[in-house]
Amino acid sequence: MRFEFKLPDIGEGVVEGEIVQWLVAEGDAVQEDQPLVEVMTDKATVEIPAPQSGTIIETQGEIGETVAVGSVLLVIDTDAVSTPDQPPAAAMAPTVEAEGPVQPVEAPQPHPLAGAQALAGPRKVLAAPATRRLARELGIDVAAVAGTGARGRVTQADVVAASCRECGAAATPRRGDARAVDAPPAQPVAAKPEESLAGSPPPAAGIPMPVDGAPLEQRTPFVGLRKRIAMKMAESTRTAAHFTYVDEVDMSELVALRMRLKAAAEARDAKLSYLPFVVKALERAFALFPTMNSTLDEARNELVVKRSYHIGIAVDTAKGLFVPVVKGVERKSLLQIAAEIAQLAQLCREGKATREQLTGSTFTITSVGNIGGMFATPIINFPEVAILGINRIHDRPVVRDGEIVIRKMMYLALSFDHRIIDGAVGAGFCNEIKRYLESPGLLMLDMA
Amino acid sequence: MLELDNDATTILRPDGTLAGECPVDDAELLSLYRDMLKLRTIDNRMVTLQRQGRIGFYGPATGHEAAVVGACRALEERDWIFPALRESAMTWLRGMPLQSFVDQLFGNRRDAAHGRQMPCHHTFREGNYVSLSAVIGTQLPQAVGAALAARARGDDVVVVGFLGDGASSSGDFHAAANFAGVFRPPLVLFCQNNQWAISVPFERQTASDGVAVKASAYGIDGVRVDGNDILGVLGATRAALGRARSGAGPTLIEALTYRVGPHTTSDDPRRYRDETVTEQWKEERDPLRRLEVLLEAKELLREADRSTWVGELEGELRECIASAEAAGPPALSSMVDDVYAEPTALLEKQRKMLLERG
Repeated sequence: MRFEFKLPDIGEGVVEGEIVQWLVAEGDAVQEDQPLVEVMTDKATVEIPAPQSGTIIETQGEIGETVAVGSVLLVIDTDAVSTPDQPPAAAMAPTVEAEGPVQPVEAPQPHPLAGAQALAGPRKVLAAPATRRLARELGIDVAAVAGTGARGRVTQADVVAASCRECGAAATPRRGDARAVDAPPAQPVAAKPEESLAGSPPPAAGIPMPVDGAPLEQRTPFVGLRKRIAMKMAESTRTAAHFTYVDEVDMSELVALRMRLKAAAEARDAKLSYLPFVVKALERAFALFPTMNSTLDEARNELVVKRSYHIGIAVDTAKGLFVPVVKGVERKSLLQIAAEIAQLAQLCREGKATREQLTGSTFTITSVGNIGGMFATPIINFPEVAILGINRIHDRPVVRDGEIVIRKMMYLALSFDHRIIDGAVGAGFCNEIKRYLESPGLLMLDMA
Repeated sequence: MLELDNDATTILRPDGTLAGECPVDDAELLSLYRDMLKLRTIDNRMVTLQRQGRIGFYGPATGHEAAVVGACRALEERDWIFPALRESAMTWLRGMPLQSFVDQLFGNRRDAAHGRQMPCHHTFREGNYVSLSAVIGTQLPQAVGAALAARARGDDVVVVGFLGDGASSSGDFHAAANFAGVFRPPLVLFCQNNQWAISVPFERQTASDGVAVKASAYGIDGVRVDGNDILGVLGATRAALGRARSGAGPTLIEALTYRVGPHTTSDDPRRYRDETVTEQWKEERDPLRRLEVLLEAKELLREADRSTWVGELEGELRECIASAEAAGPPALSSMVDDVYAEPTALLEKQRKMLLERG
């Protein structure tokens, strides 16, 4: 009999789900309760088990596709029931150490309630679900990874290391590891789309030469966070008329000031990076150029100038780019902003940032400073109208009063939407930021 | 993360060894285990059913089995239960046929509440198990009231009001505990503290060191017990029931456990908490595993027995589910029943319209 399995409402009032992974293919024989497909909804990512035994005639929906509740996911021929190799359900002893169906199993199991596999499996691997998930995303068999955690537990770092080995790359430090002298570790790293693309899938250059007929390419589903970043970047470049204005800033005074304040900040448990000063300089510059802190509401043909400054900070993580938001910076001190950035960056790296912490920015800062390069041309965090890229501070020879002197120099790269911001306005705004960064003492004039 | 501050109430340790004498005989020990195994098997099956779209919702008690089975076993048949979310197994533990339990999950025409409640929100009059409200904490003042009523009528019953850690910060908890302290009815408040109220961790629920300590502010007894130690839970609950029955006043029991699964099938804890902690609870503190170790040491349990029991139960569940699915939904016309003893003219009119438009 032809049994059409429709996507059920797997939460309360869920209307659609994104197909994360197919665990069966057309032609496969499946047993009742065998996991068929992993679906991500607003509320949860769950594996959906087969309600009937039979043969899969047809699956509908590609990985990454969003399907409506009630639409047909797959069709099972229920007459073609094969005899399971596995013992029937009776062999199960559902103790907790086995992952119950609530916490989905790793791979298609020939068998329902999961209880059995931990008891029957060759070796029980200790790994947290988040680690297992990471392994699955990187295509690593978690059972093959040597765990370095407590009692041999496989950690996320182990999985990442195994992934690096697998793709032939040396275990290079993540971009989150601060190397540049000028950048403290808490300072989040930026987020240019081209470099972020190196995030989850292993870089092509790292794939070793094929041996005995192994495939020449590796295909990874383009889904989840990676796909959302891609859509957002494409939307921005498709819509905004990007114009990048670059200037250089003499950071010598700020470097000295920060050195003096660092210890005082540490005494209050905060790591003072340059970002809070940039945020405060922005705040002052917005006072003169309010349209820089706006969004374009194209549906209503209105420019929406925001009266509060919510600064998005691009943060690079193992999973990809996140932009947590420091809200209402005009009401916060340098120290408060420093602490908040550090906390948000940490939450993002741990994958614990909430939706609220990741939305609502009115302007974004991206920093590639501790990776290298002179400057970059950042992509606007749509629908904002501008983004500020800050870069590495270098000792460079410059001319002052006819003399060549060595100063601490940094490039600022401001990308703005030329549909809204004229070149002169953008340049003026950048000058204003520069003025405050070069003479940070000016910030005191406007202190409330 | 809460930890037990003393092990005065611990009987069955996490490693399956006993701290002192076993308070129950071998037969009871085995039957406690079988109830816990049954609960876990049913929960696993029902979560799968929900994922298949066959029932709309389920709230598993995975990891809570010792607290649920232990507390329920301590009760006398005449005692009353005012449940929170994770006590629904107490229906069948107190004699509800498995078929009726499953019928409720489907909300079919045999369901006692005619499909008007969410799955898991059972009602069981014969078992003195009061209908569960999804609203947090409302059952607690009701439990106090029922206990006061029982004393006024001279009934020899104790009422147990169950709650989770989330309800401990509700106003109703305060009202109930305060009344309990002042009027001292035959009452036990039993908190299954699983340390998570959906996504809210315990430290965001209260600044107290646990729930049991709150009892002293209300002038009632408070006791914290390892909620994954079925013998400890059984002992603490029996003692509290004994005090309540003898007129010595109410007790607030805190059974400290951990929600190793999602809050319900609509929840995904991987989105908001560190699951390595969960893994530790599963591996080191599992309530079933420690009793299995004890039973195996006493040569009361063999792997084959366990497989047979689960197999039999799976078979029974399969039949119940098939029957529940075949029963079909309640009659459309029943929608206006039970609002009043006799439907009003307006309701009758609505029923007529409903039937005409089908």
